[in-house]
Amino acid sequence: MKEFLDVLTSRKSIRRYKTDPIPDEMLDKILEAARWAPTGENYQPWRFIVVRDQETRNKIADLSRQGSGSRMTAWYCLGELQQRFEGIEDPEKRASVLEFMYSGRVSEFCKNAPVVIAVIGDLQVGSVDVPYDLCAAIENMTLQAHSMGLGSCWVHGPVASTRDAIRFKKILGIPTGMGDYKVISFLAVGIPLEQRKHPRPKLPLEDLVYWERFGNKERI
Amino acid sequence: MDKIKYCNELLSRLETLAYHELSGMIHWKCEFVGVDFIRAKKIEGDNVDEIVQSCTKAMAEEGLVSDIKHKVGPDGVMLKLTVKDCVHQPKEAMTQAAGIGPYLCPIANMVLDQIHEQLNYTTSYLTKLGIDHDNKRCLVYMALYETGDKVGQVSDWLADDEDKEFLKSQFSQILAAEDRKK
Repeated sequence: MKEFLDVLTSRKSIRRYKTDPIPDEMLDKILEAARWAPTGENYQPWRFIVVRDQETRNKIADLSRQGSGSRMTAWYCLGELQQRFEGIEDPEKRASVLEFMYSGRVSEFCKNAPVVIAVIGDLQVGSVDVPYDLCAAIENMTLQAHSMGLGSCWVHGPVASTRDAIRFKKILGIPTGMGDYKVISFLAVGIPLEQRKHPRPKLPLEDLVYWERFGNKERI
Repeated sequence: MDKIKYCNELLSRLETLAYHELSGMIHWKCEFVGVDFIRAKKIEGDNVDEIVQSCTKAMAEEGLVSDIKHKVGPDGVMLKLTVKDCVHQPKEAMTQAAGIGPYLCPIANMVLDQIHEQLNYTTSYLTKLGIDHDNKRCLVYMALYETGDKVGQVSDWLADDEDKEFLKSQFSQILAAEDRKK
């Protein structure tokens, strides 16, 4: 068995998947991992909608593409997206990355993921921690998936704007009232088609950790 | 009692609290703020120009703004509003004083809402708010996508824009202050 930190440090977001289906026992383990996430006062507000239907995944993918693309097209037209990616020195590669972003294709990969899990929170259960609980559940799912050799990607794009969140709810038949359910993200899951280089650069701990008081970098 | 001042103080407090909770994501969550006012008016139009003009008339009659000039980009994706004497402009100064860039514009929300409601556009995005306190005007840049295939249709919105230099001093949704000056 791997050290747990090895699981954590080798996980990466996977956006390209084989078409093979995910066996039920693996899917059940992913959902079981979510069930054991920390949750304020044990309210467990999370609910999960498992989507395998291609037509539904296409609709979610289209919403994802439009959501990300609508923002990135606008940022590009103002010249700001180009500034964000000026670190890519090769002009052709840079142009290709930018087009991938502003076209929205960056976010439409769930159409090729055999499973999409929508993560929603019941806003009527009394919990005051719904968004935080849901994020903890998603993280558990990504780690469980990775530990079994699956790839996953946590996507907020299609529900980022309020109007799009309502559209997303309608696709899946979720009640659309603002006091009913919070849609926080979906998780695309599949067998990885890509072997992405890892790790992406991470900030060193000394840049992130203070000791005893904010700003104190000296270990006491 | 100055009811507008009271209203702006409430809005600014809510803006700072919401930003604190959700960070920049809050930009994407506020698109329905203001729409109740405009939905109660009789807004009519068969295209973006007519919708903006009809909204402007309704807002000016109620004293929300004194005027709105607008410009639609040649490809129909960009919509720029120059809003004059908006009653909500003072709240932007309050929110900016907390170090938070402007992100909630009820006026823009109203216009976009009616473009969605009346013209059935696929999606839209409020991407830039420039607040010119000295001249009591706000610059609003939005992307309109009549159909899904308009997403990804790019051009240089600022190529002939008279406010290009002014915008460099304004908050960006994705760039830090130092990067905007480059």
